[in-house]
Amino acid sequence: MPTPVSAARQCLTEEAARALEDAVAVARRRSHAQTTSLHAVSALLALPSSTLREACARTRTGAYSPRLQFRALELSVGVSLDRLPSSSKALDEPPVSNSLMAAIKRSQANQRRHPESFHLHHQIVHGQQQTTSLLKVELKHFILSILDDPIVSRVLGEAGFRSCDLKLAIIHPPVSRFSRTRFPPVFLCNLTDSDPGRRSFSLEVSGDENSKRIGQVLLKKSGKNPLLVGVCANDALRSFTECINKGKGSALPSELAGLCVINAEKEISGFVNGVVSEDKMGSKFKELGNAVEQSSGPGIIVNFGDLKELIEDGASGDAVGFVVSQLTRLLVLNCEKLWLMGAAGTYETYLKLLGRFPSIEKDWDLHPLPITSMPLKSGLMGSFVPFGGFFSTTSDFQRPFSRINQSFTRCKLCTENYEQEAAVVRKGGSTISVVDQCSEIVPWLRMAELDTGKRVDVAKAKDDPATLNGNILGLQKKWNDICQRLHQAQPKLDISRASSQVPSTQGFHYAANGKEGSSKDSSTSENQYASPSPCMPTELQKVFPLEQNIQLPVASEAESCNFKFSTYSIPHKNLPPNCTSSSSVTSVTTDLGLGTLYASRSSEPDSPELSAHKECLQHISGSISTRVDAVRESTLHQIAYSSSSSGPNMGGRSDLRDFKLLWRFLGDKVCWQDDAICSISKAISRCRSGNGRHCGSSLRGDIWLTFLGPDKVGKKRIASALAEIAFGTRESLISVDLGFQEWVHKPNSIFEQQELECSDTEFRGKTIVDYIAGELRKKPHSVVFLQNVDKANNLVQRSLSQAIRLGKFADSYGREISISNMIFVVTSMITKHNRTSLSSKELVEFPEERILKAKGYQMQILTEYAAGDASISNGMNVRVTPQKGVSNPSSVNKRKLTETCDSLTQDETFEMQKRVQMSRSYLDLNLPVDDLSENVDNGDSDSDSIRTNTEAWLEEFLEQVTEKVVFKPFNFDAHAGKILKDISLQFQRTFGSDAMLEIDYEVMVQLLAAAWLSDRSKAVEEWVEQVLCRSFAEARQKYNLSARSVMKLVTCEGCFVEGKPPGMCLPARINLK
Amino acid sequence: MGNTLLEALNVRVEGSGQKFLVLAHGFGTDQSVWKGILPSFTPYYRVILYDLVCAGSVNPDYFDFRRYTTLDSYVDDLINILDALKVDRCAYVGHSFSAMIGILASIRRPELFTKLILIGASPRFLNDKDYHGGFERGEIEKVLYAMEANYNAWVQGFAPLAVGADVPDAVREFSRTLFNMRPDITLFVSRSIFNSDLRGVLGLVKVSCCIFQTTRDVSVPTSVATYLRDHLGGRNTVETLDTEGHLPHLSAPGLLATKLRRALSR
Repeated sequence: MPTPVSAARQCLTEEAARALEDAVAVARRRSHAQTTSLHAVSALLALPSSTLREACARTRTGAYSPRLQFRALELSVGVSLDRLPSSSKALDEPPVSNSLMAAIKRSQANQRRHPESFHLHHQIVHGQQQTTSLLKVELKHFILSILDDPIVSRVLGEAGFRSCDLKLAIIHPPVSRFSRTRFPPVFLCNLTDSDPGRRSFSLEVSGDENSKRIGQVLLKKSGKNPLLVGVCANDALRSFTECINKGKGSALPSELAGLCVINAEKEISGFVNGVVSEDKMGSKFKELGNAVEQSSGPGIIVNFGDLKELIEDGASGDAVGFVVSQLTRLLVLNCEKLWLMGAAGTYETYLKLLGRFPSIEKDWDLHPLPITSMPLKSGLMGSFVPFGGFFSTTSDFQRPFSRINQSFTRCKLCTENYEQEAAVVRKGGSTISVVDQCSEIVPWLRMAELDTGKRVDVAKAKDDPATLNGNILGLQKKWNDICQRLHQAQPKLDISRASSQVPSTQGFHYAANGKEGSSKDSSTSENQYASPSPCMPTELQKVFPLEQNIQLPVASEAESCNFKFSTYSIPHKNLPPNCTSSSSVTSVTTDLGLGTLYASRSSEPDSPELSAHKECLQHISGSISTRVDAVRESTLHQIAYSSSSSGPNMGGRSDLRDFKLLWRFLGDKVCWQDDAICSISKAISRCRSGNGRHCGSSLRGDIWLTFLGPDKVGKKRIASALAEIAFGTRESLISVDLGFQEWVHKPNSIFEQQELECSDTEFRGKTIVDYIAGELRKKPHSVVFLQNVDKANNLVQRSLSQAIRLGKFADSYGREISISNMIFVVTSMITKHNRTSLSSKELVEFPEERILKAKGYQMQILTEYAAGDASISNGMNVRVTPQKGVSNPSSVNKRKLTETCDSLTQDETFEMQKRVQMSRSYLDLNLPVDDLSENVDNGDSDSDSIRTNTEAWLEEFLEQVTEKVVFKPFNFDAHAGKILKDISLQFQRTFGSDAMLEIDYEVMVQLLAAAWLSDRSKAVEEWVEQVLCRSFAEARQKYNLSARSVMKLVTCEGCFVEGKPPGMCLPARINLK
Repeated sequence: MGNTLLEALNVRVEGSGQKFLVLAHGFGTDQSVWKGILPSFTPYYRVILYDLVCAGSVNPDYFDFRRYTTLDSYVDDLINILDALKVDRCAYVGHSFSAMIGILASIRRPELFTKLILIGASPRFLNDKDYHGGFERGEIEKVLYAMEANYNAWVQGFAPLAVGADVPDAVREFSRTLFNMRPDITLFVSRSIFNSDLRGVLGLVKVSCCIFQTTRDVSVPTSVATYLRDHLGGRNTVETLDTEGHLPHLSAPGLLATKLRRALSR
């Protein structure tokens, strides 16, 4: 039910009422039945300095020019307005629509909540005693609530603006920041006439960039003699000299007009190769000297040709010396009027000459000028005519340009001249225009002439409509320019503004195309530049509205969820306004409450417009529905918890409030971390029973735990156990190693096989943050396990900080995902208090770093005669060989060099040093060896600052977590002792107590890794009993054993376990020789 | 005429830090290509971003077909931007086409650059008798012809090829920016790129360069990286990225950011 304008006006302050009036005027002009928020936006944008416009300018996305983005915004507003139904009879004051009135009411309510900023107007009417207190809405709040209107935010989204950003910008006053206007403006070279580049260009005929640059060098005070360097240098040299000697002196700057080139290259190359006599050479130099003296113009250029001739093996050293000294003499005598010029194919050629004549660069005053491309007329550039013949049809492409000319009005005289010329071009005759006639007088006219560029092609153009068109366009442009310069002192016309005046439907057409992700005909790509819509990236269009949709409901409080959903999901259906019946809104709302969104969707009337967006809709509705579920469930959870009644809809999940249950469950999985598990269980049960994190007054559902210290496997296992008990399945674990980029890929590592599920293929093309965000979206209920948080990059750091503060995880695009009800577990090897004790830890035989390097080798048993006095020590006839690299070096063969490096460097926690050390031993030829130490210093100073930054962040971050849990190291040495005892027992049972067994260190590492990783506590014992014991028996039969023989259990280098029992990284059988 | 160069080429300076870092995009993209990389550098550098005049995000009217025939004009633009921003020293990261521009800029103004990082760079795309640039002249003509005949189809074919790695997002993004370019400009620029030959001038570079090369790049064979290292005049290193394709900043931004930061701090 629309409200009369006068009634609406009463709720507004004067300023806001004016805005409303403008909106009404827009609606009246378009003869619409009602005044909507869109009209208001359109009116606000039309004002040159409105709050909205200013806010848009401040929030616009960087990559596109503000003008373009504003254009896009105006365009999409226009398009949306066009689609509103117009009323049959013209209304004087189209009444205010429901949605706009609602916006006014919202702003009233909003203002009431901020009493410091509202103006209460006590309307005391004389004679009447009651005081009506009526709140007048200020313009700012009016705009703010209009931005909430879904239609408006969709329109804004189409132009790449986000209404939430705009709102922020309106609320917060502009802040001064690093601004580009601080610097003096620099004009784009091809736009201004004051620019030297342009000036010199206007004097050229050939348009050869190389010649232009040579000219610039010739003009210089010092280093005025160009030496062209580059593969094409000789061509450039030739074309330059030809150009000048053919009388096209205008290839030179005006100051040097009349300069001529004398080629001495033939004589010089002949002379140094002994073909030309010294007399002849001498006379040539004399001739050069005379020529300089007699020249009336600015002087002469001596072209000495290719430097290659002077340094080639065939060249006689004396002759070259003579040439060089003669040229130097000439130059000294006539430094004002003589230039030298030459070419070198490569810089190396020049270097050789420098080697022979070290002072030549100074003596000859040379300026090496890089030449990187052929002169224009040759090579690939040859056939290119801009625009001409490029498009199969000219119609599409003509439009923006014809518009230019429409929007720019030439004066009458110039228009006549233009039409005259255009007619001639169309007929195909040659044009002798007024410009030609007066081009001698004014130099810039000649440049304008160039603009047509194609007068030579006139004959050809007759056959080719495209070229003809190009010619006519050129003519138009030329006469525009002339007119502009001669008759109107106004600045150059703004072409892009004109070009964006293409019919708005066309622009929209493109936008629609983009939305469907297909642009199949080539005309679309042309549309792309014809209309300003390329400034709205296709992806943004698709993603932005959708994301807004998701963010808002999640952010809002539970009870308002449903309502917001319904309003925000409507615009995505892209229903024409007449289809948006209020009934469909309510049906969605109701269904949301019941949790069956799909059903209602499919039962909606299937109008043709609707079906066009089916695909898009399905996509969106899918994501909405998961969101809805998530929100609904989390709401239910929170309600359930806060009212401390057990949630009936919790599925198979256990009640996390039960400390004992949790403790027992985790203890079963990881038996060696009692203390850690105890504090984890306490923290979780505390949070879940209502004493958790608070955000304002409401309870937050997310729990943050930090696992500090060693025991990588234990941490991971606890995390996945948490996922299992909290969310029913281990699948709801999102595991990401933030330090993964520092991995050096080691094939067949036991631990890498375990981590296979988060291999880098999933990270491809994404930042880690986006990967995490994607996973969070997929699994709204999960334990997020982030390893090595100390290695997180800035992006991750920022997102995590935000997430822990606000309960929302933002990806790199700024899209936010609610993390309520998730459990975040971040790990770090660093423990805050004993950071030093890690590196200076007491000597452990099997450190964790070494175990992490374990590989799944195949094993074998060898037999050997004991060399020395192999006596049985400490009651066991089994011993472990010392770690390689620590043991005697004689046994280290070449292959093991890498292993040695590994173990030597393994304790280096300073990864910078490690890298350098590695590169030393691996002989990285890229790094110059002598600079290594210096490099390390530089690197340290820089990476130190990065590291301190990270440390500061980590400290701050860890302050905020729910619980910090410090892990103990897994006691590998004790385990090793136990395993050895087991093996010894088995060994004695088979071979008797006299025999000796040596176990390789690597084997031991592998066994320990298996024990650490395996789910069952007895896994390694079982393996010893079954596999190893069987192998011992086989070995006894096979090998001929004497008393002094020693058995050896070693790994097969390079041979990895294939057929292994599930869940084990130990071989199923052991090789015998 | 309020059109400044900075505005025309959408120059942005982001981040806080003492040192300047220029991120220059390559052919067929615009500055948005760095968005995955940028956040890793804004805390430590003032990052300068700009669009090449041929990029789709720049008003095509600024593209002067007579001026931008050689790389030197692009170099002018770059140096003008740096001068306008009053940059006296900066590190430069250039991809592909911009790597060439960076090389030339450092020849002209060696004091301006502390370090060049060249991603997917090549001094010459065409093969020569003792140089393998990856393309035969005939092939190039075919490519240019295809581009001319049906730009749309060419983009659809070229984008996945250039991205190399199987990353749909990156392909979509690259296609988008390629499409944004006006076809005639694309054709013109690719002609001038293929027409350029920097081999002779590499020795004039005195700034130290770091060459980033992916394991497989359709536009740049690995031998080119070695060639660059051996012929550039400064102190050079080659850094191999463990990923595929010509656009590692799109297909593997995280990896590239880490490697870049290391290379810059060396």
